[in-house]
Formats: sequence, C-alpha cells, structure tokens
Amino acid sequence: MSLELAGVGYRYAGAGQPSLLDIDLELPEATVVGLAGASESGKTTLCLVASGLAPRTVGGRIRGTIRLDGEDVDAWPMHRLAERIGIGFQNPATQLSQVADTVFEEVAFGPMNVGLPRDEVIQRTWDALDALRIADLAERDPRRLSGGQQQLVATAGLLAMRPTHLVLDEPTAQLDPAGTRLVADAIARLAAAGASILVAEQKTDLLAEVASRVVVLDAGRIVRDGPADEVLADPALPELGVAPPSAVRLRRAASAAGIDEAVLGTLDG
Amino acid sequence: MAGSDHLSELHVTGRDVPAFVGRPGPSAFHRLNPLTKATLATVTAVAAVVLGGLIGPAILVAVAVIGPAIAAGVLGRLVRTALLLSLPIAISAFLVNLFFLPGAETVLLRIGPITATAEGLAFALEILARIVAISGAVTLFYLTTRPSDLVVDLERRGVSPRVAFVASASVQTVPAMVERAGQITAAQRARGLDTEGSVWRRVRGILPIVGPVILGSIAEVEERTMALEARGFTRPGRRTLLWAPSDSTAQGLMRRGLLLGLLALIVLRITGVWP
Amino acid sequence: MADIAVEGLAHVYREGSVRALDGVDLRIVAGERVALIGQNGSGKTTLVRHFNGLLRPTEGRVTVDGGDAGSLTVAHLASRVGLVFQDPDRQIFSGAVRSEVEFGPRNLGRRGAELAAAVTAALDATGLSGEERTNPYDLGQSRRKLLALASVLAMRTPVLVLDEPTTGQDARGVERVRAVVASATAEGRTVIAISHDMRFVAETFERVVVMRAGRVVLDGTPTEAFAEANREVLRSTFLEPPLSATVGHRLGLGSTPTDASLLDGLRAKLAGG
Repeated sequence: MSLELAGVGYRYAGAGQPSLLDIDLELPEATVVGLAGASESGKTTLCLVASGLAPRTVGGRIRGTIRLDGEDVDAWPMHRLAERIGIGFQNPATQLSQVADTVFEEVAFGPMNVGLPRDEVIQRTWDALDALRIADLAERDPRRLSGGQQQLVATAGLLAMRPTHLVLDEPTAQLDPAGTRLVADAIARLAAAGASILVAEQKTDLLAEVASRVVVLDAGRIVRDGPADEVLADPALPELGVAPPSAVRLRRAASAAGIDEAVLGTLDG
Repeated sequence: MAGSDHLSELHVTGRDVPAFVGRPGPSAFHRLNPLTKATLATVTAVAAVVLGGLIGPAILVAVAVIGPAIAAGVLGRLVRTALLLSLPIAISAFLVNLFFLPGAETVLLRIGPITATAEGLAFALEILARIVAISGAVTLFYLTTRPSDLVVDLERRGVSPRVAFVASASVQTVPAMVERAGQITAAQRARGLDTEGSVWRRVRGILPIVGPVILGSIAEVEERTMALEARGFTRPGRRTLLWAPSDSTAQGLMRRGLLLGLLALIVLRITGVWP
Repeated sequence: MADIAVEGLAHVYREGSVRALDGVDLRIVAGERVALIGQNGSGKTTLVRHFNGLLRPTEGRVTVDGGDAGSLTVAHLASRVGLVFQDPDRQIFSGAVRSEVEFGPRNLGRRGAELAAAVTAALDATGLSGEERTNPYDLGQSRRKLLALASVLAMRTPVLVLDEPTTGQDARGVERVRAVVASATAEGRTVIAISHDMRFVAETFERVVVMRAGRVVLDGTPTEAFAEANREVLRSTFLEPPLSATVGHRLGLGSTPTDASLLDGLRAKLAGG
C-alpha cells in the first residue's frame, strides 16, 4: 500500500506564497523515509499535507494529487484518512486526548472514535501497546508520564488505528536524551516489523540510524531524494541548512585534515 | 455494523476490559451515577436560593453537602476548596450588606462614617448561607466525580461524543492555563517585569502576561484539534464505549423525586404558602 | 562583572516532599562559560531559577554579584542575570520584533540612544536585523527562539543563562547561538547554558556540570567530563558523550570531546608511529 504525492503544492490560508511546490514523493510499504531540511523549509507542512490535515483541518489550498494505493484521496473526509495515515507531532502533551485516565484508554481513543466493536478496540489497544513495549504503562495516568513516554503513548494511539502509513513530525524535538533514545528505538522496532514511516527530524544522526531513504526539502521543494547513506553524505547538506550526521562530519573532517578516514574505523554513530 | 455491541452491559466490566478501566470510586457516594450527583448539586444550589431565611439553607447545607461529604470522606478537601472558591465573593457580599443595607436602622457598630446594622447583619448572614450552600454543592460534585465518568455517562445517554468531549476538556483547560500563566509570569519577571511594586506597575504588567496566555492557548488549541482529528474524532455518530458508570431504577426515581421536590418548593414560595 | 556562589543549596517545591535540589555547592566566576547537563528532573532548571530570584532557597544560600539572591527582588536581579526560557511562546507578547526586544531593557530603565543601541546590537547578533516590524508569529518557530534570546541579550546583563538554546534549532540556528555565546564571553559576560546537545556543549563551553537527582555528580572541563573514566557516571544519567569522544576512547587517544581534539589526537598518534 503506497502513499504517493504527485505534483503537490500547498499554500496556507492568507499566505503570500506557497509553502510547498512540485512535490513528487512516493512512500512505499515497509520503508522508513527520513525528511530533513532547515527550519521553515516545509517539513511540517509536508507532514500535514501527507496526512490530510492540510487542507482539511488546517485550511489553505492544495494542488496536485495524493493517492493511497492508487486511489485519489482528495474527497476523503479526515476521519476516513485518519484510519489509514497516522500523524504524530513534536509536543507530547498536546497529543493526549485529556479525557483518558489511563494509558490504555488513551490508546483506545482512536478505535473507540471509529466505532469498532468493543473486542476489537481492546485487541488493537493491547497490540499497539505491545508493539511499542509499553504494556506495563497501561494503568498509568498519561498526563504524569515523561515526555518520551508520552510520545510513545501518542504513537501507540496512532498505531491502534492500524494505519498503513505513519507520519512523525520531529518526534524527538522536545525530548531529553533518554526520551530521544526511547523514541528512536521504537521507530527502529516498528521499521523492523515492516512499518511505513515518514519521519521529519533535525537530528540527522537519528535518521542515519532508522531511515533507509532520505528526502531533503529546501524552500518548499524536494532537492534530494535517495538512499540514506548517500543523501546524508552529500557535501551540499550544510548549505541547505542541514547538519550532516556526526559520523559523516568526522570522516569529512579527517580527510580534510589529510588523515585517512579508515583510521577512524567503523563509526556506528 | 461497527459498534453494535457498545450499548450492552456497559456497567459490568467485561472479562476483556482491563479491571483498572472505569475504576469505581472509593465510597458509595462516589459510585452514584454522575447525573444523580449533578442533580443533587443543582437542586441544592437552586433550593438554597429559593428558600427563605437562614435555617432553610443551613439545614440544606448540613443534609445535602456536609452529610454526603462525610460519607464520601472528602469533608476536609471540600471545606478548603469551597472556601477558596467562595471566599472573595462571600467576604465582599457580607461586608456590603452588613454596612450598606438600604433602609436598615438598628445600629450595632460605628466605624468612622460607616455603620453596621442588625438588619444588615441578618441579611448578610442569609446571603452568606446561600453562597456557602452553592459553593459547597458544586464542590461536592466536583470532588466526587471524575470528568471521564460524566462524559461517558452523557454519551451513553445519547449526547454527541464531541459535545461531551468539549464539556470535559473545557474543565481540564483551567489548570493547564493556570500553569501556563505561571510560567509566562516567570519569563516576564526574568525580563524585569515588576510584579512586586506599586499597583500601577502591576496593572501595566498584565498585557505581557495575558497576551502570551491567550495566544499560546489558541496555538495549543490548534495543535490539540489536529491531534484529535488525526485520531478520527470528527467521525459522525456514536463511538464505542469501553465502560460506563452504573445507574439504577432507584437512582432514577431519586433524581425525579429531587427535581419534583424542587419544583414544589418553587411553587410554594411563589404562591406565598411557605415563608 | 558578577560571580555566582551557591552554598549548600536545597530546594523543595511546595507541593511535595521531593528535594528538587539536594545540597548543591557551586562557584561560577565572572566570564566563565558553563554548561549544565542532566536528565529532565535532575534539578538544572530549578538551580538556575535561583540565580535570578524566581525561586528562593529552602536551605543554603545563593550569592549573585555579592548580593544574597534569596532576599533581592526578581526585578533587581534581572539586571544582573538574564534568563532565556526554553519556550519563546511563553514570553513573546508584542506585535513587532523591535518592541519585543525593547521590553527587557526598558524595564531596566534604559532609554533613548542607549536603548536603541542595545536593541540593534541584539537584533544583529541573532540575525533578526531586517525583521524589526515583523510580527513575531510570522517568524518560524526557530527564529522566534532567537527573538527570545535577542530580547534578553538586549538587557546587557553580566550573566546570561540559556535554557535549552539549541532545541528545535536547525544547523544555522545552532551556529548563531554559538556565535552569541562567543561574543558574550568576549565582552566578559558569564554564560550558563542548560543543554541536551552534547556536541554543542563540548565545542562551546569550558566547563561542564553534570546533575542527577538534585546533586552535582561531575564538574570539570569537557575533556574531563567526557573522559572514559566518567563514562559510567554519564551513563547513569542516560547521557552519552559526543561521537568524537567515543571514537577517541576506542582508538586509545584519551579524551577527545571535540572534532578538533580528535584530529589532534589522531595526528599525534600517526606521527608517533
């Protein structure tokens, strides 16, 4: 089940110019695609457009086509898209529904909303909690968890919808190193289990770890799209406002200093 | 069709719903249906206003607020919270009536140009009793009912999930806004905003605090809305409920009885039968 | 220029009996560049809020620029210690960049040419010179963060405290922050930063203070803090040293917390045989 954006452009309501231009992007099954770019390059906008929130909830005007498994989703209402594409945001706390006293109910929120039979709601909830290894948090009050844990709960809430694609907009931006590690490990596990994920991140080290493909945005356009190692090693990245991963940076510094890169050995950073 | 069994046996936690979901409250009063508790609070508050004199409201407070509070084990918190809620209004209402009741003549005490009167005192006490009754009734409900209990119960009775959600989420916004306002105040003080100086200074200091509180809350609402919609919140129709608070015929009768009693009281008062 | 002295500081928040700070002794000399690292909940934010009086000690004493911070008003301490909060949206209230930046120095009594100069300099330093009349909410999130930084920079305080200055910043934003820190210390100001970015810490600061559970568990130069010997201490607070340090350890080069020190170590080793 692939998600395709063809010739997509997007302009926010009342904006002077478009935030996205000529986006051609394919998000196939079982792939983690990293999205990199300077602040305001359009990463968040692309996430909103891919998930359907733009223009449905956010307003604005879209052009081009978005297809899910070949079918044009332009006429789909938000709640129907929500069952196929899950989107997660930076701020862990604002993603909580606020009406759930336990993590279990929080994760069940989505399936409950779409009116699935009770047994299925329960099954999906446990499955999602297990997929993220947070079944032991099921009884806890989601509002009292750490930022990293809340992000995992939010992601489980998305997974419980059994989406075909997950879009994560800078999930670790507001987390401390422990939280970042929790989320990065969770993404890696989901990837290993065959999830399709589009993850936007400033932390290129994280992208190097989990993404097989990386797309770079600059002023609303895609300027790079290719295998992760290639794109992340592209020397133009700093000009595009993207810090290369630490490993790439160190190797480059070594060879610039006339030292053979091989001396550094394998850098699994 | 999806959701076909969401109405059956909701008051019994099924085998598969984890036991910790829909935890029953710690006391019998807590476990009363939210609508019952809401009816009690409303009837108490309205009756306190309708009843004349001092004795009526006092008995009402004893029977409908203090009694259940003791049974529910929340008396201490009730007193503290209700006081917090009502103290400013109570004090000003009391003082205004004590000193400035029009037409009062029996002087009790003179402090400079203002006079406390016996009639003023009597009236002030009556007002006080009503304020105590109302804030006590509302606080009792608030302390013994989880927002999720109320929301789920309303939904079960047919209220749209989106409406029920708004009701519940609005209540939750208040502590979040208070916390936000605290953080914003700290940030502005760190830039030299004087909150400890003269009154005029402090008034000028309001905009740098109120502005971000409101703007930030708006931005947060946008984020929350997106997150909700991403989880199918806008789907029309009812949603599946995992559990619901229990209700019983007895409670239904009690609610009707309370409302009828209130109606009777109002009629009696209006027709002048009861002082 | 101001020194900060912390003696036996403990802090308990009213709500509970959790000791957010449990006996902290620290001395920061004027002009130092100090990074404060540790997990959320380790006490970093609680500690720095004592420097400008937002929090008062439960036990112990904090002295700022010779005065007891526990008994001075926040408004007064704001002229000695400028604290930039992590979330710019909990601070920005003005409809235009310039007036937002003017707020702080105005509160401190600056007017006229002095005020204008301070504001202009702050806007230049944060790359916001062309945006004086722009509405802050028309700037992106990361530039708003720089705006929050500018608004405290303009106060020209001898001590600058930055709470997570690089979170949410892209590569250019991080460079700007680094440049701001450099020029502030060039002017003799003390800069204290709370950060999760270990590379930013290693490359920008000369002293690293590691906190855990309300106490200081490590205090030294980046070379000392990220040395192999301290790896376990760092790990106990779920922190990892920058990649250059890890590579340096593996290659037996000693402690190499920055790219430059790693390269120096490599050259030395290769030259030595």
